[in-house]
Amino acid sequence: MTQFYTELSRALLALAVALVVALLIIIATSSDPANAFTQLLTAPLTSKRTIGYWMDDVAKLTLTGLAFSLVFQARQFSMGVQGQVYIGGMFAAWVALSPLGTTVLAIPLGLIAGMIGGAAYGFIPGYAKAKFGANEIVSSLMLNYIAIKVVNWVTRAHLAPEGSGQLMSPPFPPEATFPALVSGTRLDLGLVIALVMVIVVWFTLYRTRWGLKLRLVGDNATFAAYAGIKSNAVMIAAMTAAGAIGGLLGSVFVQGRAYGKITENFDGNLAFEGILIAIVAKNRPLAVPFVALAYGYLRQGAQLMGNRTDVPNEMIAVVQALVILLVASSFTIPGRRALARLLRRKEAAQ
Amino acid sequence: MMDIIGAVFSVTFLAMVIRQMTPLLLATLGGLIADLSGALNVALEGMMLISALTAVLVSVHYPWYVAVLAGMSAGSALGLMMAFFHLRMRADIILVGFAVNIVATGGTVFALSLATGGDKGTSINLVSKAIPAVNLPFLRDIPVVGQPLHGMLSGHSVLTWFAFASVFGLWFFLYRMRGGLWLRAVGEYPAAPAAAGIKVDTVRMWGLIASGAFAGLAGAQLAMFNYVGFTRDMTAGRGFIALGAVLLGARHPVGACVAALLFGFFDALSFVIATRAQNFPAELIQAMPFAVTIVALIFFAWRAQKAKALRGA
Repeated sequence: MTQFYTELSRALLALAVALVVALLIIIATSSDPANAFTQLLTAPLTSKRTIGYWMDDVAKLTLTGLAFSLVFQARQFSMGVQGQVYIGGMFAAWVALSPLGTTVLAIPLGLIAGMIGGAAYGFIPGYAKAKFGANEIVSSLMLNYIAIKVVNWVTRAHLAPEGSGQLMSPPFPPEATFPALVSGTRLDLGLVIALVMVIVVWFTLYRTRWGLKLRLVGDNATFAAYAGIKSNAVMIAAMTAAGAIGGLLGSVFVQGRAYGKITENFDGNLAFEGILIAIVAKNRPLAVPFVALAYGYLRQGAQLMGNRTDVPNEMIAVVQALVILLVASSFTIPGRRALARLLRRKEAAQ
Repeated sequence: MMDIIGAVFSVTFLAMVIRQMTPLLLATLGGLIADLSGALNVALEGMMLISALTAVLVSVHYPWYVAVLAGMSAGSALGLMMAFFHLRMRADIILVGFAVNIVATGGTVFALSLATGGDKGTSINLVSKAIPAVNLPFLRDIPVVGQPLHGMLSGHSVLTWFAFASVFGLWFFLYRMRGGLWLRAVGEYPAAPAAAGIKVDTVRMWGLIASGAFAGLAGAQLAMFNYVGFTRDMTAGRGFIALGAVLLGARHPVGACVAALLFGFFDALSFVIATRAQNFPAELIQAMPFAVTIVALIFFAWRAQKAKALRGA
């Protein structure tokens, strides 16, 4: 429990430092820094619509955070979630634009298709590493680029209306688009899917034999091998399972209310931000949605600040990088040691 | 089709290969140094992006060589920062690298919009300079081979020549000098150099700084020669390709050069196909270098594994 509080206070400290730096940057660059900083911190709560944007982000960030957490727990640095999202999105779009898209099966089949596509795409770097020893960081990054290019091509050349020059498919039929949970917002089925997946991933990791194996391989692959665990098989399975979550996120993207169609470059680099979520959550599935809640708020705040003031929303990149650096670093929180010494002295005096 | 084959075997194509491979070669050498010191530098992409922007912005007011040096310094500074967080703060090098990449993708757009007064896409409104080309008119006087040789070798950037010289220089440093031995030892088995009294962390720090310097030069070459001016995300994955090229080149400077040549070839090929065969989808051409990297990566990893098995390890 004390460890939990240490982690939490470190994450909060990182956030505080990052916000102070953000404030300094805003002061240095904005003509109206007070307004810009207020927008950053309060804008997501200003209306039902903006809360919807925030929740939509939370759902997506949770899913990508879960995918990265699963891979990182097996101590694999596969960076392939982005590619899986694109492949998953393309598969879901095929279902939605097929004759099945106008039936009640459209949504569940779209989700399953996305998961299958993503899982297949996650399997490749895992298999290449286990079988040939190919570095999974490099191969998964290459696969991301390939997926983005290929899906953009399919979208432009095959899914967009012929000869229109558009970079997106026509809107999916209503049966293939998630219903809104609160009317007039983007709050849709995606959030429910994300929360269900949190439970599923948590249960798999901490309550099943396979999850134990995965965590053992992540902790110490040599020890796991001595214990008779086929670490290669576990590794491939972990990357495939994470790929399925990545693919699911792809379906959530294209079938969600925010799009309801597939467009070029649809993920807007959100998939990659799962790295940050996973790091701050220390790869623990139950912590992921909370981190996504906080980070999604900041992300949406930056977006709205970018729209409403003279500070570009890209400024938030500095905050992101700082949070990653500070959380990944191991440092003792200043003053803690002094406080502990003080308390000990008090005990000694008694 | 014959048209494309003809274009590939032309002198201008070879010149284009050299031009396209230069930033990659510089970045690959940077990746190689870090990799040999035992730190996989996934931040090459971000370092290139930041130094490209730095070089362009500096070149607006100062001569081109100051701008190149500024780009190189920006890369080294990022290397130093990575060293601090990795070695002192004990953060995972991969995560530190990704932090650099994240700050690079967003931060360069932010800085660009400040520098141009709101333009988030390109630096087209800033008058930036280019690295001068090295012309070799005397090559033309050589009988028979003079003309093609001139077409191939003349007109490249100063940094192209520096890059090729660095391949040799780095080989000499790594395999003929004490510092290079230390660097390789630290990457191979840190306990041994530590026992010999060599400061492992210091060697790694300089490795990361040098890695950043090369990535910085790559960025400068990209934004001051291959293209003049900065465009958002203009590195377009070259940093990651360089990371693959390090592994493909069997972690050797000459291998790195060959790997960079391979990618330069595919880069140039994608240009040729794009101009000669317009009905071929551009996205698939752009995906080609990445696909080649994966195939080559798997092949070389497989071969390395087999070689290891043969040695009975």
